[in-house]
Amino acid sequence: MPDQARDQAQGRTPEQPATGATGTAGGAGGTGTPPPAVRVEGLWKRFGEQVAVAGIDLELPAGRFIGLVGPNGAGKTTTLSMITGLLRPDQGRVLVAGHDVWRDPAEVKARIGVLPEGLRLFERLSGRELLGYTGRLRGLPGTETDKRATQLLDVLDLAGAQHKLVVDYSTGMRKKIGLAAALLHNPQVLFLDEPFEGVDPVSAQTIRGVLERYTDSGATVVFSSHVMELVESLCDWVAVMAGGRIRAQGTLAEVRGGSPSLQSAFLELVGAGSRDTGESLDWLGGAR
Amino acid sequence: MSRTSQAGTAPAPGGVPLTPVFVRLKLSLLRNGLRQSSGRTAAYVVSAVFALLIAAGQLLGLVLLRGNDHAGTLVVLLAGVLGLGWAVMPLFFPGGDETLDPTRLVMLPLRPQPLVRALLMASLVGIGPVFSFCLLLGSAIAVAHGAAAVAVAVVAVPLALLTCVVLARAVATANIRLLTSRKGRDLAVLSGLLIAVGIQVVNFAAQRLGEAGGLSELDPAAGLVRWLPPAAALGAVDSASAGAYGTAAAQLLLSAAAPVALLGLWQRSLVKLMTAPDGSTLAAAEPSRTESASAAGRLGRLLPEGRTGTVMLRSLRYVWRDPKTKAAWVTSLAIGLIVPLFNAVQGQGTIYFACFAAGMLGIQMYNQFGQDTSAFWMVALTISSTRDAYLELRARALTLLVITLPYATLVTVATAALLGDWHALPEALGLSFALLGAMLATGSVASARFPYSIPQDSAYKNVAPGQAGLAWISIVGGMLAAALICAPVIALTVWLHVSGADGWTWLLLPVGTVYGALATAGGLRLAAPRTAARLPEILTAVSKG
Repeated sequence: MPDQARDQAQGRTPEQPATGATGTAGGAGGTGTPPPAVRVEGLWKRFGEQVAVAGIDLELPAGRFIGLVGPNGAGKTTTLSMITGLLRPDQGRVLVAGHDVWRDPAEVKARIGVLPEGLRLFERLSGRELLGYTGRLRGLPGTETDKRATQLLDVLDLAGAQHKLVVDYSTGMRKKIGLAAALLHNPQVLFLDEPFEGVDPVSAQTIRGVLERYTDSGATVVFSSHVMELVESLCDWVAVMAGGRIRAQGTLAEVRGGSPSLQSAFLELVGAGSRDTGESLDWLGGAR
Repeated sequence: MSRTSQAGTAPAPGGVPLTPVFVRLKLSLLRNGLRQSSGRTAAYVVSAVFALLIAAGQLLGLVLLRGNDHAGTLVVLLAGVLGLGWAVMPLFFPGGDETLDPTRLVMLPLRPQPLVRALLMASLVGIGPVFSFCLLLGSAIAVAHGAAAVAVAVVAVPLALLTCVVLARAVATANIRLLTSRKGRDLAVLSGLLIAVGIQVVNFAAQRLGEAGGLSELDPAAGLVRWLPPAAALGAVDSASAGAYGTAAAQLLLSAAAPVALLGLWQRSLVKLMTAPDGSTLAAAEPSRTESASAAGRLGRLLPEGRTGTVMLRSLRYVWRDPKTKAAWVTSLAIGLIVPLFNAVQGQGTIYFACFAAGMLGIQMYNQFGQDTSAFWMVALTISSTRDAYLELRARALTLLVITLPYATLVTVATAALLGDWHALPEALGLSFALLGAMLATGSVASARFPYSIPQDSAYKNVAPGQAGLAWISIVGGMLAAALICAPVIALTVWLHVSGADGWTWLLLPVGTVYGALATAGGLRLAAPRTAARLPEILTAVSKG
């Protein structure tokens, strides 16, 4: 049964990234054609009886703004956790910038920045202290850490709250300080799990601006979301996940296909037809 | 009221009476609390039965006290303590009663007066009020002599109970913004500590009282307290028994005025709470931490560069700022001090008890990563080799040493001074350091092998559900292993004494210190590769809180 599912998943992923469009990305990867930012082969994860990720294969091109989309419970967080080395897969291989996440953690951890969802930060530090802590743990010199922290706090509009404890931050501020901590060591690939969830429009715009500037420099952003409009407006490459499998991956245009929007293409892919609310709510909006 | 036209569709005031709705809500919540899990049901039933047994015991004890000379004093003071308890309880158990949290009701179309009435009746339901009622009833029986006193008691007991309940509601409502804020939750997490210390103080005071000549010592205090509601109600009963009807009337009047005044206060803060904008976050938004930031900056310069200093600074900040970590540290520091010194003061101690200080603080090394909670991912992402893991663990051990070494030395010296046993000081220090080293060693290995989550929101839970076994293995197993590791030093101590070589016991100071240092180094070397290899497993284990 698992093997069957794995074959199916593999059968769906013949699409190679369109390399022509990534001419500017060469600087990030090094010499020659850059390796894909992330390559995932036959990745499995079970929690007891439940299969969270059912043998997925993914190849995410470098230098792109990549969206991992799917409904709640699709396995996005589990996948991102396994790619970033925070969760051990039952089976499968993950390469980030050509290095195996589990065999060569030193190479991988130096190259990635992560903003997980549902995990705490060291919240009893102030925003500035958190950045100072993260940068120094990452091996940056103290003065360089403080310089970068100041700039990130400014750009992310957190300078006014830099001495406030993170525990007193709003959701948007937490996402921003988490993003700052993830960017501090100038990673090659940035993984963000639901970076816009619960974030106000102003903070979202700030985050967006920073991320667009970051990808323009040739770096790769991989982020998960279930807000299709957002993914459609931000990403140039999309992977659709549902029920622990990859349903489609490719450029935005490829995944959208003939559908008018990513939203409708997505609903088609995950097999969620328009559910009729029927007549059970006929009193709603009736005479009061 | 103008809303009566809508009474059919919404439980508006004037439509369905509110009070039975709230009382039923309270009863269903109590019932549903029982249904959640069998373990919780058992705990709930046991605690309820326990509370009722105590209440019944109190009732009986107070009834038996009838006729005692000091019954009046005791009863009045008990009522005073009861009132104090009701006043501070909502500050420590803010989440205790959801039905009474008015911020949950802001969206409902309710008028203040029926709301206050309904909330009041609902808060009279529960174990707490039953417990208090038993105590007050027993108190009244203990002091009521004669028909007039009984008549006063019939009014006084309900008044006192009402005062207690309204007092708790008024305090809770007035402070609800604080209680639902982060600072309030921090306060609640520290409450376990305050209660533990409070019990010690009460225990000590009771002992002193027993020595000083009994309850008559308390008469002056009772003289004042009998004029303070809710104790004034029982003061009235006592006064009526003594025939002082004027005093009794005045005290009864006070007892009646108190709940009325408190009700007014409660209603006012309730109205304000549900209509005025919330300004509580404004104060927190002021970035005024410059002073502590510069202090930390100085501390930071003292610490070494690189991972070691960074981790130490973060850990030291957490000892001070994180309520859970702080509570654990203060408990360890207090017990490590109290056990040797109190025993020494009472003249039964030996200097070896001073090892308690090192032992209690050594426990803090256990479950290091559980103390990080799921924020451990930030650490896990920066550990990519055994060397990184070693530095991380070593820095955490150093943090402990920065506090523990001077503290254990101080406690040992103080114990030696109290006992006048200066000769044994070096060997006691040596044993302490050997024990500390062994605990740091086993603590690092246990941190890597048996991590578990520490729930952050409760003062009373230190292990996440389902991980109690892990915690036991970690701490008990670790302590046994630490004792085993220490065995050679302990054996050497015993041998030196038995063989009559008392002149050489000072040797234990250098031997114990070096042994402890070697044990720590060995433990760290052993734990580092395990930590580096198990990062995802550790993260999963500590993310359940």
